[in-house]
Amino acid sequence: MKRLAISLALLATAVAAQAQISVGKGQLSGSIESNNIYYMEDSALAGSTPEDRFGSNSYLKVDYTLGRFSAGLQADAYLPVLQGFDMATYGAGHKFVLSSKYIQWQDRNFAVRVGDIFDQFGSGILFRTWEDRALGFNNSLEGVRGAYNFNGYVSVKGVYGRPRLYDEYASSWVRGADMSVSISEITGWDNGMLNLEGSYLNRHQNIDEVPDAEMLGLTSSDINMFSGRINFAWQGLELRGEYVGKCNADLYSPIHEAARGNAWLAEAAYDYNRFAVSASFRRLEHMSTMASLIGGGTGNVINYLPALTRQYTYMLTNLNPYQVNAEGEIGGQADIYYSLRNRTDRSRYWNFHANFSTFYTLEENGGGEHRLLWRDINVDVERQWNRRLKTTLLYSRQEWNPSHGGINDDTYVSDIFVADITYKFDKKKSLRVEAQYLLSGDYEGDWAAALVEFNVAPSWSVYASDMYNLGNETDKMHYYNAGVSWTHSRTRLQLSYGRNRAGYVCSGGVCRFSPAYTGFNLVLTSSF
Amino acid sequence: MKKLLFLLLALGAMTTVSAQTIPDVKIENQKGETISTLSLVQGKPMIVSFWSTTCKPCIMELNAINEQLEEWLEEADFEVVAVSTDDSRSVSRARAMTRGNGWEFICLYDKNQDFKRAMQVSLTPHTFVIDADGKIVYSHSGYTPGSENVLFEKIKELAK
Repeated sequence: MKRLAISLALLATAVAAQAQISVGKGQLSGSIESNNIYYMEDSALAGSTPEDRFGSNSYLKVDYTLGRFSAGLQADAYLPVLQGFDMATYGAGHKFVLSSKYIQWQDRNFAVRVGDIFDQFGSGILFRTWEDRALGFNNSLEGVRGAYNFNGYVSVKGVYGRPRLYDEYASSWVRGADMSVSISEITGWDNGMLNLEGSYLNRHQNIDEVPDAEMLGLTSSDINMFSGRINFAWQGLELRGEYVGKCNADLYSPIHEAARGNAWLAEAAYDYNRFAVSASFRRLEHMSTMASLIGGGTGNVINYLPALTRQYTYMLTNLNPYQVNAEGEIGGQADIYYSLRNRTDRSRYWNFHANFSTFYTLEENGGGEHRLLWRDINVDVERQWNRRLKTTLLYSRQEWNPSHGGINDDTYVSDIFVADITYKFDKKKSLRVEAQYLLSGDYEGDWAAALVEFNVAPSWSVYASDMYNLGNETDKMHYYNAGVSWTHSRTRLQLSYGRNRAGYVCSGGVCRFSPAYTGFNLVLTSSF
Repeated sequence: MKKLLFLLLALGAMTTVSAQTIPDVKIENQKGETISTLSLVQGKPMIVSFWSTTCKPCIMELNAINEQLEEWLEEADFEVVAVSTDDSRSVSRARAMTRGNGWEFICLYDKNQDFKRAMQVSLTPHTFVIDADGKIVYSHSGYTPGSENVLFEKIKELAK
């Protein structure tokens, strides 16, 4: 509780530090985010309460800019790290980490940065470093980055450094280069865009450090990787293609043997007026690239292989989200958007959206078929009736393989229905209600959920929600939650209490990922 | 934690009131070209809103602004800039969504989150009001129905 008091003191300071700061001719800006949980004993979630009842992930980021020069740092405090975050696997206890520091110089065509680097090549399948506080990692490269743009015709960049691995560094070095050639600029084609791009990446880690390296099939300390890409846009049409390959066998997970990975990605999109379609196809094989050949955690990566499925914001649609099969998968997704507008009254419209995604294993089962890993067909219709009333209806049919491509060919099916109604009483007060139902004969059976949220703009929001597993014969569990949030300009404070299942929690105006726990949650964000 | 506290107090003590200007960051436009965020400063005030396809309140806010945009533009001349923080996973969906929702904004795609970091955005939605010279005069995080009116009040003050 003492630490809660400190958090409150932090808030008071943050509120006081509202105004922007100028130092000499440059300017200083910064942000603070603090997530604090006080875990409560809950007999229904036996073993969920850590010995230390408190957890706190806090971040302070400060940047200074003077013309073309900038510098900054970020300090993280984990007191200790919140439950369910992988950082704890690299040592429990309180941690204070200087997670980012840099100096940078940039003009119209040239940029150089020394320090921690966030960057990506193409879609990130080859290389991506980023920070995700909801996932609790930051795999930035500590090193140097340079970039140059030749008159818009050709742009090149290079990076060299060692990846961050939670509060440590991986014992590997990563170097890479990326080039993009704009054919449309060179030929003076103004109506569209055509870019040809390519990248190279090397990760060096001494395989003598890796136990049983030879047995795992690792033959070289250097893993060389490359990618080739094409981007095309003309009027409403966009096409993108990318191929990524590894030249050497590499570990794609801590528990599997090394293999040579590769990936294909193709994307197409078209829009006309208020009609838009987009589709993507991806084939992955052993393409996950770890920052370090030793150690686990979702943050032990230097590339980005996201699940190409619809990411929902409703509770029951997120119960069993798809996760990428690192060994290999093939599939894709498509989206269609259409908006129907009243010509004279903009406060009356229909928005239609449909999405389809499906993924299969690369390996075949005994019957010579690829196993279905995931399929989701969903439709949502949003209707703004007038200035006061808005309704959204959503239906999703999700099929998923519980063994994630293992020996089991079975799939579980869920039919999910959601109604979401917002009513504005006046310019400030509004009420939002969600009702959800998940129908399933498999796994945990049926679920029902509801949410009520009352808002007084622009500062206050109060909500309460419950998720109930009524179809579960042995464990009929309620996941309840209630909270209040307050916003004043750049400062936002949210206090909630509840039993949380792992997944995205959205209310009071913001969405975030939350691991399972019961307790009080205090979130503060502010910037200056 | 103590160190953090002292640092913040020190910052608080140093505070002088002066408006911050929009940082210079490279970002993708609707066409897929890389532009500088400084090119947004065109002598008009603007509302800059950070959103993503997985952030429902962000989409509610942008829809609410889009609904009232025509009326607001009769009273003041300004631009609305919607900055998608979607990464490569969902950027093509973000592009489709901006068209499908009929948003009449300048749409930018911050795939590497460089602009988001430079503007000190921790959580979305986070919306800024920026004057004709590129100075940040107001910002707000989170969205509750009706809070878009505060943004327009600030724009009207700038237009005076």
